[in-house]
Amino acid sequence: MEVKKSKWDRLFWTWKPASEREAGDSVVRNLLLHWFPAKVTKESLSFRYSFWLGTVSALLFGILAVTGVVLMFLYVPSVERAYPSVKDLEFTVSFGGFIRAVHRISAHLMVAVVFLHLVRVFWTGAYKNGTATSQNRPFNWILGLALLLITFLLSFTGYLLPWDQLAYWAITVGTNIASAAPLVGDKIRFLFLGGNEIGQNTLLRFYVLHCFFLPTMVLFLFYWHMWRVRKDGGLACVDKLALKQKSENTAPVKSKTYSLLGITRGSTVHVETALVAQDEHTVPSSPNLTRRLLAVMLITLTVVALLAVFVGAPLEEAANPLVTPNPAKAPWYFLWLQELVTDTTIHIGGLTINGALLGGMLVPGLLVLLLGAWPYLDKSSVNSVGVWFAKERRRQNLIFLAVVIFILILTIIGTFLRGPYWKFYWPWQGWPEVPRRF
Amino acid sequence: MNWKNRDWAWIYWSAVVLLLVTGYIFWDQMVPEWGDYQADFKELVASRLGQARAKQVPTGIQQVWVPQLGRADRCTTCHMGVSWKGFESAPEPFRTHSKEILDKHPIAQYGCTVCHSGQGQATDERSAHATMVDHWEDPVLGADLAKTYLVKNREALLQINCNQCHRYDRETKGADYINYAKQLVQQKGCRACHTINGRGGMVGPNLTYIGDQSPEQYDYSRMNGVKTAFAWHLAHFKEPKAMVSTTVMPNFGFGSKEAQSLAMLVLSWKKTNFPVEYIPGAKVGDVPTPEELAKEKQMETGEGAFFVKKTCFICHSVSTLGIESATNIGPDLANAAADVQARFGRTLEDFLAAPTGTMAVVLSTQIHLTPEERAEAISKLKAAYQLKLEQEKTARPKK
Repeated sequence: MEVKKSKWDRLFWTWKPASEREAGDSVVRNLLLHWFPAKVTKESLSFRYSFWLGTVSALLFGILAVTGVVLMFLYVPSVERAYPSVKDLEFTVSFGGFIRAVHRISAHLMVAVVFLHLVRVFWTGAYKNGTATSQNRPFNWILGLALLLITFLLSFTGYLLPWDQLAYWAITVGTNIASAAPLVGDKIRFLFLGGNEIGQNTLLRFYVLHCFFLPTMVLFLFYWHMWRVRKDGGLACVDKLALKQKSENTAPVKSKTYSLLGITRGSTVHVETALVAQDEHTVPSSPNLTRRLLAVMLITLTVVALLAVFVGAPLEEAANPLVTPNPAKAPWYFLWLQELVTDTTIHIGGLTINGALLGGMLVPGLLVLLLGAWPYLDKSSVNSVGVWFAKERRRQNLIFLAVVIFILILTIIGTFLRGPYWKFYWPWQGWPEVPRRF
Repeated sequence: MNWKNRDWAWIYWSAVVLLLVTGYIFWDQMVPEWGDYQADFKELVASRLGQARAKQVPTGIQQVWVPQLGRADRCTTCHMGVSWKGFESAPEPFRTHSKEILDKHPIAQYGCTVCHSGQGQATDERSAHATMVDHWEDPVLGADLAKTYLVKNREALLQINCNQCHRYDRETKGADYINYAKQLVQQKGCRACHTINGRGGMVGPNLTYIGDQSPEQYDYSRMNGVKTAFAWHLAHFKEPKAMVSTTVMPNFGFGSKEAQSLAMLVLSWKKTNFPVEYIPGAKVGDVPTPEELAKEKQMETGEGAFFVKKTCFICHSVSTLGIESATNIGPDLANAAADVQARFGRTLEDFLAAPTGTMAVVLSTQIHLTPEERAEAISKLKAAYQLKLEQEKTARPKK
């Protein structure tokens, strides 16, 4: 029986579908839902497998885009006007301080969440291909890695824009580390700064990178990332289910989804995909996936809003190239590098071997290269795809854990335990009082 | 609870919290601190000046924008009585600003913070006064700070800002602490060792822009109590060796008043970028040379002064009386006695009584001569012609 639909129903979809057909129809018919599969495994929806970190990253990016556009109407990217325009945001623009705080908090959270997403994917072996053809998860891992690096850059470029002491000197430290690269270091720094020192050219470059170039790249890579997730048959935990079914001697599920289009790599007409027996493990995406997505969305928004109210966004004195704050620190997610630079800087007599090359370039460079190549080096079997801490991958997971802890410890030391002159202070030791004019 | 219901629980609880946060943000926006002050001021105006005047009290954030100084001062959002008459004895923040100083420094051209310091853009008291907040280096120079530093005159500290523009004054009316400090600089011969305002000795540090030195750049290691640049200077003026053990600066036996005045003076020595019209005594312009001035004086007071006074000199020189026209549109009047006869066939007296041509227009519209003045003109012109004849006589034999 054809039910007459109102315009409202055409625009949206039912949260209480009467049949699976109606549930699937919502996904097919609606622009907002069309990128979801009609049915989704319960495991993929679970918090304990993925923590929904990828979704949270995307949501944070959405919050950043919306608040960022609002800020663009109010912020002036000029050396003379930038700082006063941020002050105006804080003092006179309606909700200006809150919007700025939301933007700042979301930016910090996005860096953290994207990193945690990478950690989750590593520990679950989710960058590995399962048994289905046309999968290329290692490549999607590289896309994700690129997204992480762009997230760093987005945050880093945004850091300069308020043009206060925090911004100015964090960018000074960051770009000085970049200049330690052999041969091209100074050129890289010049390219970033648009000159030999931070000034109007730098501000303009960072502004354009921050507001246009990098977000566009994120959008592009994000769509690619999502498209690959769908093409790889969903989350890696689905492959684990499929494998389990196989061992239980269930007949492989046939699918002809892509075969007619001739774009799969399989050699048979009927392609075996990672699809699992539907009734037992899957539920319709609408409303199960949409409901949980709504929940994640609201939780993310709530956390961001609360942090914005209670933590807020800092704004120090206007940038002053003549006065270096003590200590001068890079943004927190680069502080493990700054700490590493300190720890690898060696003084022998009057001779100083600068650690910037090792700590600032070689270590992070090698880490990124190694991360990118890892899926191709990881020879573990298909049994460890989509499994948290698979036995087979225990050693690499432990090494990865060690690296993560190492980075976290350096970050914590750099952020909380380094005071004036980069001296070490325990949390219970007060820093020397910062002198004032009056 | 199954996972479907758990999702709904999360959704509802988050929605409730979000709603509360939204409510808080709106409340925060709608009930600003300055709203209370504006309501109080309105009440005050109503009680003293009546309801009709109370209606004229503005609402919302107030701002004095001074583009020349690059300042947007929002102090009047709370300090509403500043330019109202009749609140001279009202409690702050509603007191009328003292009039004498505003006459010379109109708010529209100066704003507030250029004299008082503080954070002009801020719209809450704590951030605006900035005596207790981090990250704003110029707190309002008012009673709070004066109390901290035991300055007897509670308003004295803002004289630091007077001296931003009045730096090169020997004495500035109303800036007694700064004036006293400037006297001390002369008496004690500070310039023997220090360069001040670009001149002086090289033994001690150059103090010309010492006020720009950042608070972090002082050595507080030998100092007790509050660590500020101002406190450092106070301690240093009282006993230089206590702050810098290796210094050769003598102890001048300064008391509190001397140390305070001098600390204020040295902190006022900053680079500024005020437009030149804000600096008293500073003149950019077309300054005449001494020769030009002497010539001008000679023309205005000499024998030919009459022709300057009556503006004849705009077109005519009177060469023998030392009057040089800038334009020389008309003929040299030293010749007039003979020249008028030659050109018009009339005597000078006759011509001036009934001029023709251009002079008819000029003498009827722009230069009005009374009969006495006409007589004076004629006698002066004749005298000038006599001089001319004598000069030619003495010049001729040389040929």
